[in-house]
Amino acid sequence: MKATDIDSLKSAWKNEQGFENKTLSQTDIEKFLQKKSKDITHLFKVGLTIDVVLKSIIGVSLMGIIILFSGNQQMVISMTAILGLILWAIWFQLKMYRSIPQTGMSEPAIRTSLEARIQFYHQRYVKSLYIGALSNSLFFISGSLYYFYFKYGEIRPMDIVDFLVFGTAIIIAFVIGAVAQIAQHNFHVKQLESCLQEIDEETMTALTIKEQRNKKLKLFFIALTALVCGLLLLAYFVFR
Amino acid sequence: MTNQRTDKHFLELIHRHQSILHKICFAYCKNRSDREDLQQEIVLQLWKSYPSFRGNSQFSTWMYRVALNTAINRTSKPGILTDSSKAPEAAYDPGDDYELSEEIRILHMAIARLKKIEKAIILLWLEELSYEEIAETIGITAKNVSVRIVRVKTRLAEIIQKLQ
Repeated sequence: MKATDIDSLKSAWKNEQGFENKTLSQTDIEKFLQKKSKDITHLFKVGLTIDVVLKSIIGVSLMGIIILFSGNQQMVISMTAILGLILWAIWFQLKMYRSIPQTGMSEPAIRTSLEARIQFYHQRYVKSLYIGALSNSLFFISGSLYYFYFKYGEIRPMDIVDFLVFGTAIIIAFVIGAVAQIAQHNFHVKQLESCLQEIDEETMTALTIKEQRNKKLKLFFIALTALVCGLLLLAYFVFR
Repeated sequence: MTNQRTDKHFLELIHRHQSILHKICFAYCKNRSDREDLQQEIVLQLWKSYPSFRGNSQFSTWMYRVALNTAINRTSKPGILTDSSKAPEAAYDPGDDYELSEEIRILHMAIARLKKIEKAIILLWLEELSYEEIAETIGITAKNVSVRIVRVKTRLAEIIQKLQ
């Protein structure tokens, strides 16, 4: 078959009645409108909602720790600081939730819509993934403190090995959460990028994508370093 | 009252132009279940976008734009055993729920084997949209559209030849 033969199929395409036989009734369409979206933005929104709920639960549990250790001033100050961090994280996640771009918008061209989404996910959403992964570390800290309270009724003095073990566990909890979420995020974004690449075959080079990935990696290491320093500082104040 | 009228009008329009829905789902989905999911997603997105429809273009053109945006932005879920990007034709099931003529069925099967943007270009071209309209929908120049159409038609002809 030649490319020009495709032209002859054009009128057959326009006049094809096969799809007319497969009609959706207005009731079917109404039913569609009552269902929930399975779009990528919806999945991200569900993920953000779960994280906000989880952080709220951790926040409440930390309030419990403040009450249980009310006599320990250092503990009260540290837990209040972590509560502040949780509140900021929740505020950030809610802000992110509101700014997720919608699909199916009528105005932008496919290319504009893809660019906006990719840019959003690379530059902004990735930050919320790290904040999301923070829940794991916070959950671990909160769980450990409850364990100490119910087992020993106090926080016993810790030596350097204890710091190392707990510090490592906190970091591992963060990394596991971050790696899992980033892998899923990259899987989705990669598909969007391949579409944009297909549109911009001539103009968008692989270099741009590589630059974006390097930027993301750099951001990850900065966040990781900040987390490690913050947690070590926290552990020092709590357990010294 | 106004809302009810809008709802009814919207449902009527979707009902009238539903062949667009079927054609896009046929091109972008491998099986019946996928098609039903995408149909639902497109209708939802059309409903969300409907208030912004100003009537500057034909409803069918606008519907194509929203539906293609939805289909292209829709990503598959990560799977351990499946990799849809590597062998799309292997898993494609045109289904028997449409009574299509043989040549159109083959054309659809061939379109389903194209890349996502190629599919959009050829679908719009088959609907007899002008190069300018296609360019505006995709976000490229009209000149680029003409070049791409020739390329996609050649690719489509090769696929059809293999299928026949």
